[in-house]
Amino acid sequence: MAPATTRRRILPAASHRSLAGRTPATLWMLMGVLVLLSLASGALSAWAVSQHSAAASSVAAVHEPLSLDAQQMYEAVADADVTITGSLLASQQPPQGQLQRYRADIAEAATSLADLKDAGANPQLTAAITAFSTGLPLYAGYVAQARDLYSVGYPLTGGSFLQVASEEAHLTLLPAAKTIYAQENAATSAASDQATGLPTVIVALVLALAAGFALYRAQRWLAHLTHRIFNYGLVGASIVLIVSVVWLVATFVVARSDLDTGLRQGARPAEALAQANIDVQQIRGDAILNVISRSGSTSFETDFSTVQAEIGPLLSAAAGNAQAAPYLAAAQRDAPAWYAANEQVYKLGASAQYQAERDMVIGIGPGSSAAGYNQLENDISQALAASQQTFRSGANSGASAFGPLEGVVIAAALLVAASSAGGLSRRIAEYR
Amino acid sequence: MPEKRRARTVVLAVLLLAVATACGTSATPGANGVDTRSASGAVGTPAGTIVELGSGLLMPMMKIWAAAYRQKVPGVTVSVNGGGSGLGIASAMDGKADIGASDAYLSSGDLVKAPSLLNIPLAVSAQLVIYNLPGLSQGSHVMLNGQVLAGMYDGTITRWNAPAIANLNPSLHLPDIKVVPVHRSDSSGDTFLFTSYLSTQDPVWNNDHGYGTTVAWPPVSAAIAASGSSTMLADCARIPGCVAYNGISYLTQTLADGLGYAALANSAGRYTLPTPTAIQAAVAPFVALTPPNETISLIDGPAAAGYPILNYEYAIVSTRQPDPAKASAVKAFLDWVITTGNSPTYVSQVNFRPLPPAVAILASQQISRIG
Repeated sequence: MAPATTRRRILPAASHRSLAGRTPATLWMLMGVLVLLSLASGALSAWAVSQHSAAASSVAAVHEPLSLDAQQMYEAVADADVTITGSLLASQQPPQGQLQRYRADIAEAATSLADLKDAGANPQLTAAITAFSTGLPLYAGYVAQARDLYSVGYPLTGGSFLQVASEEAHLTLLPAAKTIYAQENAATSAASDQATGLPTVIVALVLALAAGFALYRAQRWLAHLTHRIFNYGLVGASIVLIVSVVWLVATFVVARSDLDTGLRQGARPAEALAQANIDVQQIRGDAILNVISRSGSTSFETDFSTVQAEIGPLLSAAAGNAQAAPYLAAAQRDAPAWYAANEQVYKLGASAQYQAERDMVIGIGPGSSAAGYNQLENDISQALAASQQTFRSGANSGASAFGPLEGVVIAAALLVAASSAGGLSRRIAEYR
Repeated sequence: MPEKRRARTVVLAVLLLAVATACGTSATPGANGVDTRSASGAVGTPAGTIVELGSGLLMPMMKIWAAAYRQKVPGVTVSVNGGGSGLGIASAMDGKADIGASDAYLSSGDLVKAPSLLNIPLAVSAQLVIYNLPGLSQGSHVMLNGQVLAGMYDGTITRWNAPAIANLNPSLHLPDIKVVPVHRSDSSGDTFLFTSYLSTQDPVWNNDHGYGTTVAWPPVSAAIAASGSSTMLADCARIPGCVAYNGISYLTQTLADGLGYAALANSAGRYTLPTPTAIQAAVAPFVALTPPNETISLIDGPAAAGYPILNYEYAIVSTRQPDPAKASAVKAFLDWVITTGNSPTYVSQVNFRPLPPAVAILASQQISRIG
């Protein structure tokens, strides 16, 4: 590089006089603008990266597992109630397998509850968690009381405790679990939206482009002023800026694509399947309630028709995941037989054929409601698990795509600012 | 003139307030030691009509309570309508009755459909198995158990002198007449209690028919279906050889009609009559078990000296009353029923028993939820 004194000599005399008066100030101003723009662009990019990365990580590591916990909690309570009620109606000494399934359900509900205890400060969520944690031991206590009474030969008194337990499940636990699931699902959706949203990234990119444009104009102006094509400091700043912007854009495209795939093929089908599963559990629970409700005329037949009509569209809405497709097809194939079995159950109940109704509901023979429920519930659970796996994989991949990007954009911003300042300070020095 | 009217209004309001205060403070600890005012917070002067619909078994008791309460609180009329427990529950669910009376607790289905409903025990009742056997003295009681009764209702035992009945009653000369089983045609708490007893004592009945406020009765040619407790009693009085079930509140009328009532086998195999002692003994083991919502079957309990068919008589009431005045009136009346109304002066008239104190406290806690 030529010494400054040499460079000053080659300026035309008039230009020299004129520039000598205002160029240093302009250069100082330009340096300020470039440093500020590059730092602001870097800061905003880093903030956007940290926000998106944190949102993607929280979707993968916090919200999705909590949503799953909430869904499992509902399923566990519904299954526990159906299992223990069905087995005590069938025998005063239920088989060990059924008791183990009931205990496993209660343990799973308690574990999911423990995971959810610090899920958030939303008052609705907190109230639902409190209701569930208060209700679960009460429910288990009533079941224990029912089992004791059945085992000593008082099935009617045991039966009334079973009713009280079912009421606790249906009036407190299941609504609370449903609320928790809805809240967690909404939180997962909000975090997913934040992770895939564009506004902050676009603003960061606009700022980076503004910095790039300022660098370009500065170099054009300096080239015109000094008749030298390159100012190495500004060229270096430009290269660093371009690399960081390309890195930023590429990372966002990859992360967004992964998350989007996870949402489209995982979360949305999973949400529809979870709702379908809740509906299936509700139909099953209502059929059991109908069996144990002998002192009133209430029937759940209308509810059955309404809820049944929701399941088909939910299964259709869950399409789009290749891994879940075989289970989904099986669910669509198995559902009509189960609906038919339930219709038969309600007909038997309406004509007070209680034993036939009970056999149909709790018997496990072919064509029974219990067998159909087990089959359909299994199909949906498998499809749900496959969809959740797709979502988890997409969310993890989206979260990990950010890698060291936050540090990179900060370092790049500092480098752009330093190079710009370095390049311009040399020109300023020429005027001293 | 307007000033004069306003002054009159003020005087009237002060007078009303004074009466209200007097009524409020007059509540005293009742038969089961529950203080009405402190328990439910029902204060003020309730007024208007409380509509009660439902259990025929509870109806005689409710009429006595309504008359006594009207004397105590002249502004309140309790309209007692009967109609059967099924109607009582349904009417409380759809708001047609302020109090639905039922011999059976609410089913889980009812509660899940209408979670604002409460079943509040008002007294302890028992059920009689009655019969019309000419020639048998009223002082003697035929001994029957669940299996034999199931046989009489499913048509496998057709004569009163059949060996299955005669073997249980070696000291009685049973007439050779046809068994005419009478059952309720409407949705009935009495049917719930009776079939519950059959189901606990006879596995075959439990498997084939089960229990409920309505059941699919076996097709027996001699059987008669009756709607309501009074019709049940009238039919039985009319037909020799009848066997039927009815609430203990109809005992006086049963005896007046020349009918008899059975000594029933309990879970210990002992034959007991529905005496106050046997009812008291039977309910005792269930007191500590009664859950906060008081849904519990008292059928065929463990007491060796206990009578096997008994129940809490329930008021089915919504926690959400149409207005505060109605809520206050219903609460005040129910509070009075489980306290003053539970004293022997009232409940003994229909052979009911007072609620055990611990059960009355739970009832009071439930009443306090009405708003």
